[in-house]
Amino acid sequence: MDAGSVLQLGFNALSLGCAYALVALGFVLVINAVGAVNFAHGDLVMAGGFLAVAAAQIWPAPGILILPALLVIMAAMGVVLGAVAYLPLAKRPPSAVFVSTIAVGIMLQNGANALFGAAPRAGPALVVPGHWTGAGAAFDRQSLAVIVVSLILAGAFRFVLTRTQLGRSLRAVAADAEMARALGIDARLHILGAFAAAAALAGAAGLLLSQRYFVTPTEGTGLMLKAYIAVVIGGWGRWGGAVLGALFVAAFEVLVAAWLAQPLAEALLCAAVLAVLFVRPQGVFGETHGRRA
Amino acid sequence: MRNVIAAIVLSSIPLALASAAEPLRLPIVVPITGPLALEGASQRNGALLAIEEGAGGLELATEEIDTAASAEAALTALARALSRPNVLAVAATIFGPQMLAMMPVAEQARVPLITVSGTARLTELGHHFVFRFFPADPVVKLAQARYVVEDAKRSRVALLYQTTAYGQSGRDALGEAFRKLGASIVHEEGLALGVKDMAPALAKAKSAGADVLVLQLHSGPTALAVKQAAAMKLGLPIVAGSAMHQPSTAALLEPAELAGVCAESGSAPATGGTPELERFAAAYRKRFGSEPDGFAAAQYDGMRMAIAALAKGARTPDAVREYLAGQSHQGAAMSYRSDGKGNMAHDAVIVCYDGQSRTPRLAKRYANPPGAR
Amino acid sequence: MTARGILDAPPALPLLLGAVALGAYAAFGADEYALRVLSTAGTFALLVMGYQFVFGHLGALSLAQGAFFGLGAYATAILSSRYGLDFSVSFPVSIAVPVIAAAIVAAPVLRLETHYFALATLVLAQGALVAVLNWETLTGGANGLPGVGAVRIGDLAVARGLPMAAFVWCAVGLGALLAWRLVHGASGMAFACLRDRPLAAAALGLDGAHARHGAFLMSAAYGGAAGALHAHLSGVVSPESIEFPVMVSCLTMAVIGGRARVAGAIIGALLLAHLPEWFRGFERTYLIAYGAAALAAVILAPAGLAELFERAWDRLRTHHPALPTPSRPATAPRRAATSAALALDKASKRFGGVVAVDGVTLDLKAGEILALIGANGSGKSTLINLATGFAAPDGGRIAVDGEDVTGDPAHAVARRGVARTFQATDLVEDSSALDNVALACAARVGPERLTNWRPHGRGGMAAARAEARWWLARFGGAQTEGQKARELPAGARRLVECARAAARNPLALVLDEPGAGLSAAEKTALAERLRELARDGTGILIADHDTEFLFAIADRVACLDRGRLVALGSPQDVRTDPAVIAAYLGNAP
Repeated sequence: MDAGSVLQLGFNALSLGCAYALVALGFVLVINAVGAVNFAHGDLVMAGGFLAVAAAQIWPAPGILILPALLVIMAAMGVVLGAVAYLPLAKRPPSAVFVSTIAVGIMLQNGANALFGAAPRAGPALVVPGHWTGAGAAFDRQSLAVIVVSLILAGAFRFVLTRTQLGRSLRAVAADAEMARALGIDARLHILGAFAAAAALAGAAGLLLSQRYFVTPTEGTGLMLKAYIAVVIGGWGRWGGAVLGALFVAAFEVLVAAWLAQPLAEALLCAAVLAVLFVRPQGVFGETHGRRA
Repeated sequence: MRNVIAAIVLSSIPLALASAAEPLRLPIVVPITGPLALEGASQRNGALLAIEEGAGGLELATEEIDTAASAEAALTALARALSRPNVLAVAATIFGPQMLAMMPVAEQARVPLITVSGTARLTELGHHFVFRFFPADPVVKLAQARYVVEDAKRSRVALLYQTTAYGQSGRDALGEAFRKLGASIVHEEGLALGVKDMAPALAKAKSAGADVLVLQLHSGPTALAVKQAAAMKLGLPIVAGSAMHQPSTAALLEPAELAGVCAESGSAPATGGTPELERFAAAYRKRFGSEPDGFAAAQYDGMRMAIAALAKGARTPDAVREYLAGQSHQGAAMSYRSDGKGNMAHDAVIVCYDGQSRTPRLAKRYANPPGAR
Repeated sequence: MTARGILDAPPALPLLLGAVALGAYAAFGADEYALRVLSTAGTFALLVMGYQFVFGHLGALSLAQGAFFGLGAYATAILSSRYGLDFSVSFPVSIAVPVIAAAIVAAPVLRLETHYFALATLVLAQGALVAVLNWETLTGGANGLPGVGAVRIGDLAVARGLPMAAFVWCAVGLGALLAWRLVHGASGMAFACLRDRPLAAAALGLDGAHARHGAFLMSAAYGGAAGALHAHLSGVVSPESIEFPVMVSCLTMAVIGGRARVAGAIIGALLLAHLPEWFRGFERTYLIAYGAAALAAVILAPAGLAELFERAWDRLRTHHPALPTPSRPATAPRRAATSAALALDKASKRFGGVVAVDGVTLDLKAGEILALIGANGSGKSTLINLATGFAAPDGGRIAVDGEDVTGDPAHAVARRGVARTFQATDLVEDSSALDNVALACAARVGPERLTNWRPHGRGGMAAARAEARWWLARFGGAQTEGQKARELPAGARRLVECARAAARNPLALVLDEPGAGLSAAEKTALAERLRELARDGTGILIADHDTEFLFAIADRVACLDRGRLVALGSPQDVRTDPAVIAAYLGNAP
């Protein structure tokens, strides 16, 4: 394979990894806020993709203009998810939340199937179609837009979390909901906020993925598993680790698959994750906060 | 909350029990949810259209029963279908493993299954109650390979297949057909259903020196591969499996991206070709508001043949089976007759896209290709 | 039997009634379709029972249960469709294959905690799926293996329909009986303690790794059995039998039915297998209704339907079985064979740059009360952790009754005869005060028996409870013995914990601030009990902030300052030691 092809594949992997990173960030946000895995997260990504398809039918505009409205609608969906599937079970073991989110995921998947049908659908193009060529590779404008939008959203996410009062109280709730409540922070409101932000990020990822890779009702589980892997190898609960983990997953899917063969790349990703876990049981980048002894 | 659930449960019971009269039942047992739901929906629509057209005053009844994704779920769905009285034939799933599970049960219940599943093995196991109205893999895959070798004059094949029942069965048939025709497969790779980026496989196909890209992928991945091949300016002709002929696949692509892409199918109702097929396509569009595909046409034809048996007086599933096994039927897509094993369809078509529209033109018709019998 | 008599019967009765109802439904009220759903529910019930061992009882989120199911199914499919082997051969092999797979991965995987364990099991399951899809010569690839016939044992073939449903549910019944014998009584309490209070469990000598290992293998065995039956029921085994949705169904059934109750597995499987069928009338949207119903079920009964029924049954019953009469422990108090029940020799512990314990040499003699004093942060808790195996020293040795235990895990040190309490009381909150102590009594004799996953007979708990009542009464906790630990006031919790530690009949009893939260009268009583225990030969190491309480009962006092032992001697000597006054007692009267 020539250098141009390798560059091309690297570019594809980066673009795909950036979209996965948004999925993983939303996933890790809920984990940090409520300490439970949101099994419906992949289905939220799928829902975002179908919403983008529907929005583009009503208003045929570039995806970048649809995105703000989509973020708002998905955030509202996140609030509903949190209110229905988490708040009634807040004081219960996380396993109850696993099942409530599994149930919501089933409803989302079959809702999309009933509303939109089973056929794959293409989301709106983010920007005006076209591509730049150079160094033997074609740099698709959509893929570049995916990278840029992902970076902006991830950066905004980081800014809100680390630089604003909202983000600080959110992190306080994540670290210790009881303590946060004692300090006068409304934990329920913040947890709903976390679900809203997670769903908004998932929706954005859904829009970005739907244009290039289409969207089908059944793809949620696969995306959730990828986010799960990304989050754990990145270090449970770490934002930056989740992003790197997502890039790692995409690199296997594109680069290792190109080097070997796709089924082998899949098997090797499994082996690599196991190796990482056995050598470094705390993830590649360590955990945010150590557990109590 | 509890009352709501109780209300839901109670309200569904009358629906389930509404079977006071004894109409002739033709249940539709196909995947309506899960990864095969796209093909299942075509089957359902085709069967529904056939049943709604009626049988000259006979009272027909049907029920859609989802087989979801697994063999186990398909058996449960079939058991539900067979628990009703007067079931004369069943429109049965396109998904090979589900068919394999259902066949022994249908054999025991002596109810014919009318399917469009392509898996070669279905009709090789000595079952007498399976009738396949879509040409089997050995027919369509041979047509696909012949088009590659004889018409496109290509001999170095890159074959990408899905690691699903559809993909692996098709790959086996394609491998045999290409071997028979003397073409060599220079690159072969299985792709999981969740794979997003096709560029690695395409780049490898190119660097292996292939002169044609043969796809045996499902709808979304087929569109992805075609789209990325166009973006990469791969410059290889693409001869894809039946998923490419489905209008919902072409809808994912720009007409320009489709230039030089061909696909096999049993028939291409969206393209038309015969008055019967065009009449079917028009009725389908009117009823469902979408474009029909070859699976819908084949399932429609199969159900119409069963209904023809009813119209001629068949009142038991055995009589329907006898009719299906012994008679011929002029359907919308082609004329059907059993080869003795339940393979009813022996024609295949190749359609090609011209780069101007999303509706392909008929490029080649293989009627009763050698090797089908 | 009168109505009242039925309600007062042991809880086996509702289960028996349920089984009879189910049998009657299957035999007289069910057609082929209903029997199929029932049989499917049965295979899932077995799968979930196995999953409860590792997920419900030990709280480890394994995501490999679906893979065990798939391995069992494939083993059966390959053996019976390809080689035509009899069920009597294929069934044991189908159980053995996942168990062997589990045994191979157990050692590295079980080391991992929480999410890492979950992901490792998930990735192993995904790896199994990739293998099944691509190793086509063995598995038939995505097309799977057709032609798995009916269950055949010798000349006897189990026909489809009622015979097969009966066969599956007989297997469920046997599986349930075995599961119940594995997890009832003291073992179940030991698992609950390991799951909810792992530190307290280690202090009781319970080996969590051993328990998890056994649970993982047992879950694989049940998964394989369920998969084998599934293969015969489906006739075709394809990758859908090993894909993630199997795991998701299993998890959903376990949570909705009840995580740690055998009946919960059956209820969850029965309900979740039937739910989508009830909603079929909705046609294309029936799975939305199914999801909504599952959501409603988990919100209405987050602890599981089995518990809901159990509570309802408890309310219906007019009286509850009496507790056994308190009885003295059958075994005599243990005495150390050497002069030192517990000995630290130049023990050190560092945390980053901070030296928490710095070369401390200290002997706890049999029958003495040794008080440990020092300011906050002087290293008392770390010293206690070193002495009890809860922390490994960076330097020096630890010995129990002359035997070196340096670096041994806490449960091993505990088994040598060391018992402890915790600064923040560590009780199994959902268990009664009595059962918290009873677990210690049961764990005293062979704690390894509680976690070895062998079936137990009936009656073990009665003796443990009788003895626990005696211990609780001795420590002044008789009035609250029936209350759940979470409902107890702070002082009562302390006393339960002291009783639990003392009930282990240890050589060395290590108490971390036992006086906190106790009234003056309670402290006096506690001091009296501790003196009695010391008189029986137990060495007692006790740290507390109440120096008067300590000086009143101690034979010797040790004072720590910034990790170093600055004084050791009789209470009078230490009280007047200038170093002690400077470091700790300066402001004391």
